[in-house]
Amino acid sequence: MKKITLTLKINDEKYEIITYPNRTLLEILRDDLLLTGTKESCGEGACGACTVLLDGLPVRSCLLLVTEAKDCEITTIEGLAKGEKLDPVQESFIEHHAIQCGFCSPGMILTARSLLNHNPAPTEEEIRFAISGNVCRCTGYAKIVEAIQALSNRGRE
Amino acid sequence: MRLPPFEVLEPATLKNALSMLEKHKGKVKIVAGGTEIVGLMKLGLSVPPYILSLRKIKNLQGIKESKGQIIIRSNTTLREIIESSLINDLFKGISQAANLVAAPPIQNRATIGGNIFQNSRCMYYNQSELFRNGLKPCYKAGGVMCRAVKGGNRCFSVYQSDMAPALISFNAKAKLEKSDSSRTILISDLFTGKGENPHSIGENELLTDIIIPIPKGQYSSAYEKLRIRKSLEYPLMSSAVFVSGNMNGEVIDARIVLGAAGSSPKIIDKASKVLKGKKPSNKDIEAASGAVLQFVEVADNLPVPASYRRKMAVIYTKRAIQKALKDLRKDR
Amino acid sequence: MGDFSLIGKSMKRIDTPLKATGQAQFSSDLMLPRMLIGKVLRSPYAHAKILEIDISKAEKLPGVKAVITAKDTCADKWGVFRYTQDQQFLPTDKVRYVGEEVAAVAAVDEDTAIQALKLIKVEYEELPAVFDMKSALESGAPLIHQDHPGNINIHVNIDVGDVAKGFGESYYVREDTFTAPEDSYFQGEPYAVVAQYDHTGSLEIWMPNAGPHLKAKPLSNVLKIPLNKVRVRKIAIGGAFGGRSEISPADVICAFLARKSQRPVKLVYTREENSIATRQAHSMIATIKTGVNKEGRVISRDITCHMDGGAYSSTGPIAVSVPFLCMEQAYQMDNIRYNGYRVFTNKPIRGMFRTHGRAFACGVDLQLDMIGQELGINPLEMRLRNARKVGEFTPTKSYVASCGMTETILKAGEKASWNEKWGKLPPYHGIGIGCNSVQTGFPMGIRGGSQAFIKFNEEGGITVITGIVDNGQGNDNMIVQIAAEELGLGVCDVQLVNADTEVTPSDPGSYSMCETFIGGNAVRLAAQDAKNKLLKIASEALKASPDELTVKDRKIYIEKSPDKSISLSKVIRIALSRSESISGEGSYWPKVDSKREWVENPSGQLSETFSFGTVITEVKVDPETGKVDVLEVTAAQDVGYALNPKVIEGQFEGGIAMGGQGGMLSEYILWYNGRVLNPDQLDYMVPLAIDMPRINNIIVETIDPNGPYGAKEAGMSIAMSAAQAYCGAICNAIGVDIKEFPLTPDKILNAIEKKQKVKGDEGSE
Repeated sequence: MKKITLTLKINDEKYEIITYPNRTLLEILRDDLLLTGTKESCGEGACGACTVLLDGLPVRSCLLLVTEAKDCEITTIEGLAKGEKLDPVQESFIEHHAIQCGFCSPGMILTARSLLNHNPAPTEEEIRFAISGNVCRCTGYAKIVEAIQALSNRGRE
Repeated sequence: MRLPPFEVLEPATLKNALSMLEKHKGKVKIVAGGTEIVGLMKLGLSVPPYILSLRKIKNLQGIKESKGQIIIRSNTTLREIIESSLINDLFKGISQAANLVAAPPIQNRATIGGNIFQNSRCMYYNQSELFRNGLKPCYKAGGVMCRAVKGGNRCFSVYQSDMAPALISFNAKAKLEKSDSSRTILISDLFTGKGENPHSIGENELLTDIIIPIPKGQYSSAYEKLRIRKSLEYPLMSSAVFVSGNMNGEVIDARIVLGAAGSSPKIIDKASKVLKGKKPSNKDIEAASGAVLQFVEVADNLPVPASYRRKMAVIYTKRAIQKALKDLRKDR
Repeated sequence: MGDFSLIGKSMKRIDTPLKATGQAQFSSDLMLPRMLIGKVLRSPYAHAKILEIDISKAEKLPGVKAVITAKDTCADKWGVFRYTQDQQFLPTDKVRYVGEEVAAVAAVDEDTAIQALKLIKVEYEELPAVFDMKSALESGAPLIHQDHPGNINIHVNIDVGDVAKGFGESYYVREDTFTAPEDSYFQGEPYAVVAQYDHTGSLEIWMPNAGPHLKAKPLSNVLKIPLNKVRVRKIAIGGAFGGRSEISPADVICAFLARKSQRPVKLVYTREENSIATRQAHSMIATIKTGVNKEGRVISRDITCHMDGGAYSSTGPIAVSVPFLCMEQAYQMDNIRYNGYRVFTNKPIRGMFRTHGRAFACGVDLQLDMIGQELGINPLEMRLRNARKVGEFTPTKSYVASCGMTETILKAGEKASWNEKWGKLPPYHGIGIGCNSVQTGFPMGIRGGSQAFIKFNEEGGITVITGIVDNGQGNDNMIVQIAAEELGLGVCDVQLVNADTEVTPSDPGSYSMCETFIGGNAVRLAAQDAKNKLLKIASEALKASPDELTVKDRKIYIEKSPDKSISLSKVIRIALSRSESISGEGSYWPKVDSKREWVENPSGQLSETFSFGTVITEVKVDPETGKVDVLEVTAAQDVGYALNPKVIEGQFEGGIAMGGQGGMLSEYILWYNGRVLNPDQLDYMVPLAIDMPRINNIIVETIDPNGPYGAKEAGMSIAMSAAQAYCGAICNAIGVDIKEFPLTPDKILNAIEKKQKVKGDEGSE
């Protein structure tokens, strides 16, 4: 297997990477770039811990060959806060106690961010569906849904 | 879980893609959304020397109308299909099926082509090397035994696509291209019925278009899916129903297709016949859905018992028929 | 309660900004210079003799830096108790389940490590295996451990009062058998260990754990190095739920690989390894015979429970006891016999689990419903009549110092409109109730107490040093909340050093939610100790006696004339100028009966306090599919005192998801000859956001006399009560008592069909 060179655009920064082609985006983020905010839980697309935004949409980075992420805008949890200023979704998760062990939080927060970008006024039902691919073992989701609802232009209906 | 070694092919044109398929015939797996193949490679169930990416090929995505039919290019994501008002207006069942595939983050990557060509699954087959170590290979793994059915003389793995039954209910076709020619066949003809190798596509062929004829007159459709949780899962049983009719509520044509009821989607003509030519009463609907039972081929190889899936084939078909008929009676 | 600034308030958790931004580091996130990747070779057989292990080829593979087998671990055995030492960290003679560790490698990268595993040749001789309790108990069944005839691992016998006489005096007696398969923990974070072992002979190690001090001691034993050379470090932990408490072969393997290679090693379990090679929850067959008087009061109860323990003892004696103990705490019972058997099978090892036994808990509770039906007493009333009361002793002689069981039943009933709904719901709608109790910790021997230290800096800020660990439930925050409250400080004035065995004093670990009660008390005492020293100096400066003074907002002032004050930093500086230091020390030992032992002497004070709770669930069942729609869940729990209400609500909600929604509807392990068919997240169905119902939380406060501010265990028993309430509601909706859990749609549908058939037959007669 020959090594390949590729460029990834992550959190508005360009990274030149030399690697083998049989790598997932998740492996590159965590092992090569030390962007360990993105988590691996199941490794087979069934839990959502490894969620990153690809051109603004949540995807499973554990199922994404790194070569498939070329030419895309990648956002990881490290790219959400602007310097010291947290993203409102991060603020809301903290405020509403939507985080317990925190292992699912990066993926959950990115999924919520994307939902709100595409639909600023989601209903509770829409929120629950949007995050239905992100498994949380601690919270029972109630406070996660509340945290997202608090940012919905619709409020808590 | 690590991926086995492979080389990535990234053709920039369809022509190049087809010649690469020809050149490396039998040694290539196509990556569209990657949501299935990457998982299979991680388990060591698929070890292709080459991966062909459709990423760079322009115009292999999109939905357009042309001459009384809708053409969905094969690399179109399920999200695009869900968001397409054209599809939702014309083919409700297809739109519903796409919306029920896995969960939204998967829909963002998964493509219609990939969904149709997803491999059949079985709890005894889709396992890691650790599970397989110390066991003889089953039919699907190249052996001569079945773990799901004692003494089973064939593979009972289940084809669990949501899109295929819905597309088949509309008589959709697939355009398959290879370097020197192309052919267009019914999607229902893409299947072998064999669990170990469910699709009949040539090793040098690429699915490029899904062509759905727009039915004439008044019609409606529906898709119903059984799963334990309300998201994320493959169908344990599903039913896609198409009906056309007139203003009196009389059914002129009907097609009922079962998903996850065997190693391929199953068109149940016996069921649609019950509905055709009449204004179906509740009894007719019961009879039509009851007719699917004898065609269900299930084994205990998914997380719920086969006996339950069998019963649900009837119930979910009934519900899909009811939903489609209710929609049919609505004025357009 | 007093006028607090932080206690009793839903302050934001101090750990969550790091978790929201991806800055929190979990074990698998660690990267150390020269770090190697470890991988474990596992047994492909459920039961087999190991004849030979040849590692020579693997050792020669370029990039491989260490290969270990039982030779390296000296065949050492581990057991939670002296009498349960039956698991070798790496086995020498035989393997006892598919997935058991056999050898391990450390290599420069994961691919090389995987390749090396394939080069290890193990010669096995397969032995007959047993995969269920029935076959394991048959005479002539293959023995899994030679010294355990009949494959009985543990037998706990409790016999209080006169059970036979009790049945004789009963108005109505019935016996039912309940069963449930194994559960998986499915913590978000897969198990991961990072270890480094240097030439000074000291180990530094990170792993998700429920008690760093409990990990350190066995590591010191097996590595044969002094305990102070084992430094278990603090790290963010992605859930425990009763697991991750004992030493894991992964910890030992990683430490040995690091020692042999003299390089840091990281070992991360796959999701599958996490499901099969950490711990699972026991499957269970519980036969419960209960006698009641005319009023539905339980007179006598006889329970026989068989629990499939898998291949080794693990926390066996505790696991066999806890389901029973929870129930004897929750309900009054005078004559009681319990025979709990833990049975060895060739399946993965079972340990402690947040939802202690669906078959047991639901059995006891559902049977109350059945009895009530016979006597014409509704389930809520049945529970009220049998509920534990404050000031009572449990059958095994634990004094109950605070108890809001009755209040939780009444409040949950009111919020859920029980009286308006019971018996009046439309067809296939149902409502059910479950009650349970959990012990706030249990006897832990010499590690039963917790100590805390507090030191000041010259500005008046503090560092709290304690062994308390946070698995995700919010313990870090609890420590800061208590210390800041006691010393009149802001949250940002408190720095936390915890869960690090090099720095922090002994602590029992995070079991049964006992950290708030035991560790929290220690932190509070340490803060009070420091405060007394501060007040002494301040009283001289303010010319008032120490008991006239109050600490608040970084100031000490005279309570009656608040304008007379001195800043904390000034007091510290006075102390420093006098060559005095100010620090605090606190230690708390729960008042439990140290002579109580799980098997030999299951009697005496088990825990200093107990939590009590009720869950009511309302469901709608689809009679054609057997699928359940959960409409609403109401949880009421006596938590003593809510230090942080939102944190407590989170525990309730998580408990309902795990115990009720998952535990009763979708979670179960499927098997193929000792192999787990659903080790993955796709087929082991942890509930999703879209599945969860609306939840009403009711916090009941009884102010425990010994808890910090009156607090005690908060969320664990909710998981059990929820399983029971879900179960009761579904049985109520379909009018059939199903005794095999979980209640999957196929089982529910079969029950409905069977009932309709019986009805139909009756109708035709």
